Amino acid sequence: MSRSTRTLDDAVRQLMQEAWNLSREDGRAAAQLDHLYGRLQEPVHLAVVGPARSGKSTVVNGLIGDQIAPLPLGDGHDVVTRYADGPQPRVTARTADGAARELATTRSAHGLRMDPRTTRRSAITELRVTWPARSLRHINLVDTPGTDADDGHHAPVEHVTGEADAILYASQEIRTTDLQTLQTAQHGAVATAAPVNTVIVLTHADEIGGGRIDALLTARQLARRHQRDPAIAAMCTGVVAYGGLVALAGRTLSDADFTAVAAIAAAPRETQDACLMSADRFAGDDGPLPVDPDVRRRLLHRLGIHGVRLATTLARTGCATRAELAAELIRRSGLAELREVINGCFVERRTILKARTALAGLERLAGRLPGQDGVHLRARVEQLLATAHDFRELRLLAAMRSGQVAFTGDAGTEAHRLLGGNGTDAAVRLGAEHELSGGELWDLTADALHRWQQHAEDPRLGLHQRRAATAVVRSCEGMLVALGDG
Amino acid sequence: MIAPIWLDVLDETARLSAAHGRTDLVESVQQKRTQLLDPRLRVVVVGEPKQGKSQLINGLLNAPACPVGDELTTVLPTIVTHADTPTVTLVHTPPVRNRHGGAIAEADRTALPVDQVAAAVGGKLGGHPGAAHVEIGLPRALLGSGIVLIDTPGLDVLDPAQLDALTAFARADIVLVASDVNSELSPSEISTIGHLAQSHARVVLVLTKIDMSPRWRDVTEQSRRRLAAIGVRPAVIPVSADLRLRAAGSNDSTVNAESGFPTLLARLNTDRAAKTDELARAAVGQLTRTVIEQLAAPLRTEPPEAEPAPAPGPISRLHEAQRTVDELRRCSVRWQHTLNDEMADLLSDLEYDLRDRTRKILRKVDEVFDKADPLSDWHTFAQWLDENLLEADEANHGWMLQRFDVIGRRVAEHFLAYGYPDDTAPRWSPTSRDHLTENVPLMEQPHVERFTYAQKFFTGLRGSYGGILIFGLATSLAGMPLINPVSLGAGALFGGKTVLDESRALLKRRQATVKAASQRHVDDFFLLVSKDCRDMVRQLQRLLRDHYTALTEQLQQQIVESLRRAKLAADADVAERDQQMRQLAVLQEQARRLAATPTGTTAGTRA
Ligand SMILES: Nc1nc2c(ncn2[C@@H]2O[C@H](COP(=O)(O)OP(=O)(O)OP(=O)(O)O)[C@@H](O)[C@H]2O)c(=O)[nH]1
Ligand SMILES: Nc1nc2c(ncn2[C@@H]2O[C@H](COP(=O)(O)OP(=O)(O)OP(=O)(O)O)[C@@H](O)[C@H]2O)c(=O)[nH]1
Ligand SMILES: [Mg+2]
Ligand SMILES: [Mg+2]
Repeated sequence: MSRSTRTLDDAVRQLMQEAWNLSREDGRAAAQLDHLYGRLQEPVHLAVVGPARSGKSTVVNGLIGDQIAPLPLGDGHDVVTRYADGPQPRVTARTADGAARELATTRSAHGLRMDPRTTRRSAITELRVTWPARSLRHINLVDTPGTDADDGHHAPVEHVTGEADAILYASQEIRTTDLQTLQTAQHGAVATAAPVNTVIVLTHADEIGGGRIDALLTARQLARRHQRDPAIAAMCTGVVAYGGLVALAGRTLSDADFTAVAAIAAAPRETQDACLMSADRFAGDDGPLPVDPDVRRRLLHRLGIHGVRLATTLARTGCATRAELAAELIRRSGLAELREVINGCFVERRTILKARTALAGLERLAGRLPGQDGVHLRARVEQLLATAHDFRELRLLAAMRSGQVAFTGDAGTEAHRLLGGNGTDAAVRLGAEHELSGGELWDLTADALHRWQQHAEDPRLGLHQRRAATAVVRSCEGMLVALGDG
Repeated sequence: MIAPIWLDVLDETARLSAAHGRTDLVESVQQKRTQLLDPRLRVVVVGEPKQGKSQLINGLLNAPACPVGDELTTVLPTIVTHADTPTVTLVHTPPVRNRHGGAIAEADRTALPVDQVAAAVGGKLGGHPGAAHVEIGLPRALLGSGIVLIDTPGLDVLDPAQLDALTAFARADIVLVASDVNSELSPSEISTIGHLAQSHARVVLVLTKIDMSPRWRDVTEQSRRRLAAIGVRPAVIPVSADLRLRAAGSNDSTVNAESGFPTLLARLNTDRAAKTDELARAAVGQLTRTVIEQLAAPLRTEPPEAEPAPAPGPISRLHEAQRTVDELRRCSVRWQHTLNDEMADLLSDLEYDLRDRTRKILRKVDEVFDKADPLSDWHTFAQWLDENLLEADEANHGWMLQRFDVIGRRVAEHFLAYGYPDDTAPRWSPTSRDHLTENVPLMEQPHVERFTYAQKFFTGLRGSYGGILIFGLATSLAGMPLINPVSLGAGALFGGKTVLDESRALLKRRQATVKAASQRHVDDFFLLVSKDCRDMVRQLQRLLRDHYTALTEQLQQQIVESLRRAKLAADADVAERDQQMRQLAVLQEQARRLAATPTGTTAGTRA
């Protein structure tokens, strides 16, 4: 933890202490504070939200690396489901009154299943799943029902996004309605002062372009184009194309799967082409392919027609083992990139995201406190938001992404990097390509500091640019201090 | 010429719309007429973005007519028609149509090289701001057989208004709603289809990209069910443009059959053949229903009265007239009160005034006759009194006339609201007041005692007798005779004094008599004048009352007349509305029968 983030963390804790003193008599406020304090220690809570049937649960599965989600209740409806790391697979149901009970589960081809009799007509509002998974060590995942679910079972998705540390917005494409949803999610002083903690995931990337073999590649280009669109960039820190089925297949590819794929890849090209022309043909009972129809159907179900096409092509062109094929599928699906983005945008920024959530919680609490206490607490929250350099970096990065502040040439890229746009580690900020010693890092930082001091005083730059340059200088100073400490 | 029966219904619809003054409806009916008489079948494809709309058209044509792909989004609507050689035209403003469907303003058309079609449709062609749509001409058999295909930009949010604009622009006979089978129908797609089904006789849900989905049969079934749940049962046709184009490349009829396009094409071909008959009938039936709905809506509900209606309807005029009658009734009570009150006031004021004036005169008379001797000054006095009395009467009368004016105006004020200015009060022509001067008798000189010389002599004698006697007796004691100079002197003195005393007493008596007489005279005068005054006031009151009663009656008659007329008009209006409703009902029945009649029997003869 760098010095500046440590200061931020300390400041937030101190503010919590103050709030505690203010609201000791109020039982509910105290409980709320307790909860907030507990959250500070936990991993980043990452909520996966988006339109109905957009592939949210598939994203969750891909990240965990197992077919778990969704966990429909006995009446067929989904509820908010939280996934956390734990030694044993375990599902706990929570009802509106706060009671919790453990549910028995079984595994099926479609994921974890609960006994429908135990969950029917019960006022379950939330499920908590603990699952032994490395990927859950630094993040807790929250799977949500679709935001435009029209069946009257409106789960409190706003509540989930409101208290999550970060958001993955899963959508097949980015429409204006999606941007509006994201826009409305940003409210309150905290949300405006510490903008966007959202990454957009373009799901169903494998269906782009009609599921041709280059679909995922096209999807990746599309995502990059979206990211350059200021209207979209203003709403998120990144756009990632994601072929959910391919990713999950990559993570759960079994030897039997690989054998089947290899057998299909070994068939004559014409047979392959004819059979992979459509899902119907591939899954047909009688076909010239040397694989059992049931196996084919299972493959198709798990990979999708594009996944099957991709896997056979890969098997034919060099992936000779299950591991190789799985790795290649994961790489192409965009899962690797998604993980990287989650790491860079969320896990590394854990402290600031946690601080943000804590401050948002304190802001809500201030609204509940009576009279002068509430005003005072709100003022303190706003003060911290305005003065903490970490939030300033976030705001500036957002402004640069949406094009409000722009530097010409390489300066823009460098500013983005130095402000921690690619990662907050000193080496990443400096753009060092290989391992550097402390002294080298110091020199590089001093160089950058000098450059940006000049930018800050450059009369040719506009006021906004000079202010931004000053912020970059401040970031460099912070790095120097941290390097000096370390 | 044999003309189909739907044309009659359509023309009747147009006629009724015109009769109702709905030029907008007439226009849309006319447009439909032109469209239905055109034997070509216009097919529009709508849907959310990236549902494969453009590719669907390509699949139908078996040729890459519309640009497709993830980089290439349809931005401008594209009309694909038959042409002998491929052409691409950019059209700027849509032609403004006049009533008869002819173009007034020619659209601005720019022919483009064929390879620029992608840029044109994608709206990326520089230098053509405000382009409205693209027209593509292709030498394809399908187009040649009389089918026009219209591709549209994807609608993010399927907003009904936008959709209507799109289908109106396309003048579509059939609407194909394209939806990717890989994602189930969204709620907005379902409501869109429901909306379209209300205004279009033929709506087809085309589920695209079935080659990619192992579940397309389930999704098709599910889509049917979900649409049926909202009461819409469009044809649902699952297709794969990919397979279709592949089949075209390899000439493989199995793949072509798998693509689902033969079904869709068969459907389009039947509809084209049926366009001027069955389809037209269905379309006319639908249009007539919507037109009737729109025409009947205002008939069923009179607009609320609070609304500032430019021309109030008969019913509201009737209400208005009734209100006026009530108001007039209230007004008539009010002006009568005013008149009575004012007149009573006037009367008491006048009497007081007159009394005040006469009292002043009497006081003067008293003052004068405290000193003056009526014997010597009578003549001047009588004249003065007469003059003063007449003057008082004059002043009083003048004041009365003034007050009259005021009262007249005050009553007239009540009629201002009815458009009668306040100087219409009847003029008072004062009757000659000569009778008054004649009737007031000149004051007679009251009988007053005069002191004659004889009286004086005897009175003096009487007084002197006492003096002589007293002094004579007193002096006789002194030995003087009774009549002596002293007694004579005293007698003379006493006599003189008695005469003086007597004459003084007489003057007093005379003065009192005159005062009393004047009082009487003035009283008489007062009585006479006040009687006259009262008569006059009463006369005036009668005059005003008669005048305004007549006016009120006249007004009432007018209002009742207008009320009657309003009532008549309202009745007529209701009758007319009934009549119109009946006409609409007849038309509705025609439209219903039109849709129900089996094919082939619908041709009728028209002059
Ligand atoms: N081809 C393809 N199909 C996908 C992908 N992701 C999800 N799906 C399919 O889309 C359907 C919905 O996926 P889910 O992950 O359950 O979507 P969700 O957003 O969680 O759905 P709800 O929770 O019901 O709103 C499933 O049938 C998945 O198999 C993908 O990337 N590619
Ligand atoms: N596999 C397959 N892909 C299809 C099919 N129809 C369309 N596509 C693909 O879907 C993508 C979108 O198709 P378009 O026809 O451009 O979709 P659109 O609805 O016109 O899109 P916009 O004009 O942008 O709204 C393209 O990449 C097509 O190749 C189909 O039947 N099968
Ligand atoms: Mg889900
Ligand atoms: Mg298109």
